[in-house]
Amino acid sequence: MVSSCIGVSSTCSFGTSLQWGPGLHTFISRGHIIGRNASVQVLNRTHNNSRKDIGIGIGIGIGKRVYFTAVSGGGRRMQTVVNAAAVETLQKGIAEFYDESSGIWENIWGDHMHHGFYEPDSSVSLSDHRSAQIRMIEEALRFASISDDPMQKPRQIVDVGCGIGGSSRYLARKYEARCQGITLSPVQAQRAQALAASQGLDDKVSFQVADALNQPFEDGQFNLVWSMESGEHMPDKTKFVNELARVAAPGGTIIIVTWCHRDLSPSEESLSPEEKELLNKICDAFFLPAWCSTADYVKLLESLSLQDIKAADWSENVAPFWPAVIKSALTWKGITSLLRSGWKTIKGALAMPLMIEGYNKGLIKFAIITCRKPVS
Amino acid sequence: MRLLTHNMLSSNIKGVTNGFPLLIEVEKVVEKQVDFNEDFLRNMFAKIEWKALVEASRTMGYTELPENSESSMLNSDEFLRKFHHALLELHLEEGALVCPETGRKFPVNKGIPNMLLHEDEV
Repeated sequence: MVSSCIGVSSTCSFGTSLQWGPGLHTFISRGHIIGRNASVQVLNRTHNNSRKDIGIGIGIGIGKRVYFTAVSGGGRRMQTVVNAAAVETLQKGIAEFYDESSGIWENIWGDHMHHGFYEPDSSVSLSDHRSAQIRMIEEALRFASISDDPMQKPRQIVDVGCGIGGSSRYLARKYEARCQGITLSPVQAQRAQALAASQGLDDKVSFQVADALNQPFEDGQFNLVWSMESGEHMPDKTKFVNELARVAAPGGTIIIVTWCHRDLSPSEESLSPEEKELLNKICDAFFLPAWCSTADYVKLLESLSLQDIKAADWSENVAPFWPAVIKSALTWKGITSLLRSGWKTIKGALAMPLMIEGYNKGLIKFAIITCRKPVS
Repeated sequence: MRLLTHNMLSSNIKGVTNGFPLLIEVEKVVEKQVDFNEDFLRNMFAKIEWKALVEASRTMGYTELPENSESSMLNSDEFLRKFHHALLELHLEEGALVCPETGRKFPVNKGIPNMLLHEDEV
């Protein structure tokens, strides 16, 4: 059965989904790929990404936009999955976002670029947030049962998605360990190293511009593999988790603290359209690829035969964070800083209420997932 | 970038079977003093790829490390000092790391290596 229809998809440059009936599908999607023709795989997908039917499309770049057209053998749910060119675009976007925004964040919030950990339903004042961010690190270490014992504490740590190195410096100091940090943002890497030097940690922490999906390290180097709120940026969760496992030393611990969407119930194939729409808006503003659930992470870790897998939902413990960030943005310092920064930062700031909405609806979860790499 | 870091980095370009160790192209080397910590050195000794360290330190202009090593050398203070110097005090500020198989250069600027792969290397 052949029919044709034309559709326009959403503006998330990462995945657009349309639902059409079986037949020949033609649709046009808008994306941002710089100066290239992009080939697009059109996949028929269920929520767990099993491929049922594959089609081919081509894209034509006109100016900064790429128009894709894709044909498929049929099926219900069509989704454009963009190839390596788009991953490069995402990574460039992430790098530019952080190149632009890190300074203003550091200026107002300090060197930890992650949520604070609070008692549920507590009211907090602005001065509590820094200690809450430190508490987040400590709670994560405790959850993963990282030992302080001199014989057992970590010696080599990798901070995947290290930002300006807040965690790296904290962990290096706490355990008197060596820490390597990787980030896509050259500005962040430089700042991280400068902060390390100014704090006398220059010999303990080193930073590289590198890709978490292709970590530039030999296998099995690190006793502690740390990913604090960077998982959200990874376009390929499988590759991301594989790399975490690869660079972990036998017996080493992996700690992932990340934003996920809620677990799907057994009868659900995917999130509702309204839920997806909310996430897409957030994706666009924060340079995030498609979200997955905590359960998806657990499955990935299980598939790699990692041990002692534990997961928890800490959404209640981070609830005060986004309102606090918004409050800080609305101060004189916040507003003037934002106006001096670039559009990416402003767009990110404007999307903050969407995070609150996501949490309030039980759609967005703040999750911790930890495990251990087997000794042999 | 110090040689301790260099000893952990490898090229993971698609198709490369052995991307370690990366060759070093020097433009600017800086020496930075680091506190001597014997325990740390003893601990690291077992994990370091010695030949890679020797080769790298020679490229950076330091020729004092012995070609081969064994753990009994850790008893020698002189050896430990040389090991310490090569591992921690030599910094590549500007230059590049080079994939041993493909020759692809990863730039090092202000001491920070950029190990990002291009789209066709993934």
